[in-house]
Amino acid sequence: MTLGGYRVDNEAPHINVTHLSVAYRDQRILKDVSMTVPGGRVLAVIGPSGCGKSTLLRVFNRLVDRVSGVHIKGQVQVGNFEVIGDHVDLVELRQKVGMVFQHPNPFPFSVFDNVAYGPRLQGVKNSNRLRLLVENSLKQASLWDEVRGKLRRPASSLSGGQQQRLCIARALAVSPQVLLMDEPTSALDPLSTAKIEELVLALKGRYTVILVTHNLQQAARVSDFTAFFREGHLVELGPTKEVFTTPRRSATEEFLTGRYE
Amino acid sequence: MTVHQKNLRTERVQHGLFLAAAALLIAVGFAFWGTLGWGTLRFFLQHGLNRTILGLRYHPIQGEFGLLPFIAGSLSVTLIAVVLAYPLALSVAVTATMVLPHRWLPAIRQTVGSLAAIPSVIFGWWGLAMVVPLVRKLGGGTGFSVAAAGIVLAVMIVPTLSLLAIHAAMRVPERWVEGSLALGATPDQTLGRVVLQSIRAPLAEAGIVAVGRALGETMAVQMVIGGQTFFPHNVFAPGATLTSEILNDIGLLPPGAFGHHVLDVMALLLLLAMYGLVLLVERIGGREIG
Repeated sequence: MTLGGYRVDNEAPHINVTHLSVAYRDQRILKDVSMTVPGGRVLAVIGPSGCGKSTLLRVFNRLVDRVSGVHIKGQVQVGNFEVIGDHVDLVELRQKVGMVFQHPNPFPFSVFDNVAYGPRLQGVKNSNRLRLLVENSLKQASLWDEVRGKLRRPASSLSGGQQQRLCIARALAVSPQVLLMDEPTSALDPLSTAKIEELVLALKGRYTVILVTHNLQQAARVSDFTAFFREGHLVELGPTKEVFTTPRRSATEEFLTGRYE
Repeated sequence: MTVHQKNLRTERVQHGLFLAAAALLIAVGFAFWGTLGWGTLRFFLQHGLNRTILGLRYHPIQGEFGLLPFIAGSLSVTLIAVVLAYPLALSVAVTATMVLPHRWLPAIRQTVGSLAAIPSVIFGWWGLAMVVPLVRKLGGGTGFSVAAAGIVLAVMIVPTLSLLAIHAAMRVPERWVEGSLALGATPDQTLGRVVLQSIRAPLAEAGIVAVGRALGETMAVQMVIGGQTFFPHNVFAPGATLTSEILNDIGLLPPGAFGHHVLDVMALLLLLAMYGLVLLVERIGGREIG
């Protein structure tokens, strides 16, 4: 199966969350969240600061484990893969579920070595195969035309927006099925933001994308579904158009119209 | 006198003081090189180059000034110390910054810092009690040896080296670590491929500082190395280093004594080695992590 000229190795999986609660020590961050994200779609997660959206994202790839004293209850499934549990293979999970962070975080290596980092971890040594993987990933992240011929330059020589697309390419090089994006444009200028948004639209279908954003217009522009969180609760989840035009809950409406603080 | 004039005068006085201090420092530096260089020159004029640096026998009274035993002693003691201390210090730094809870880090840094401040004579004394008997058991002989000096120095430089490595590791941003983990790297892979990889310049710098420390240490070495002027053919043999031999001979070869200026030669050799290390640090140093 091909999509937009690229071979699709993986059916983008749906994500199921059932009665998920997360607490740091005695502080409850997420409270009994249940939701489903259809495969291959973009879900925007919005809500005021401290509502638990970043924590939710970090549950999906279990990066939340790095916080000491964290307790997770409930179930999360990515396709058929159980995410929560003591014996989950985190390496396998994180190869399935890639992540792009709020601030571009390329490693202090060359452009090439950044993208090749994941494949090399998986034992890819063949230089031709690596080169192909790097090229494909950079093309998918629409960065190839800007960096071809500069692959040996340090990643830090790229602009902020380019660095963020490099991080997306780096995540894609591992062939994930899900892409988590944690406010990926909050540190970028409007032009770079537009490029990332185009990219998210282009990735739709091949990946299930969960996008945490503070930018409501961005949520409206790129997402199929929108989830509104407040104080650890999932207040509302629905098709983006519906949530933005006819929210079912008054709290959602207040937030969308800027009346909530 | 107006306030303005007063200020101007104070400023001129300050300028003068700073200039004098800087000039004094530079003058002392030149005096160092000058004295040692002049002494070295007089030594070579008197005794010739013949078998000095590369000579194997050192017997100043008989006019034999072979310094190779001490050069070998200095190099092997330093090598043993750094090879033993470096992995240890790296482990300390990794454990302190990556493994243990972050709230322990200040206490660890303070403890390690206080170890780094222990005077070297105490390390020598500890070496006499612990290391010399241990080496005696392992390698035979009296235990006073190049190996004992190397081990004592290793223990002595571990705190400094750990502190430098901890500081380097602390400069690795959390977002690189998370980025690596998020790509499916194990913690070990993250450590090797991102953390250590990104701080290799400061780690190399720390290594050079450690070499300098080991090469220049005198007291702790002198207490356990055995102070023999023969070429040390193995690590369990007693020996001497350039520094410990200078200490030895200060009483034996007072100014005016025959061969006194061999001390200048040894000191100049050390100064040149240190200068080389400083140049090396400057080439690596100042480079950001990455």
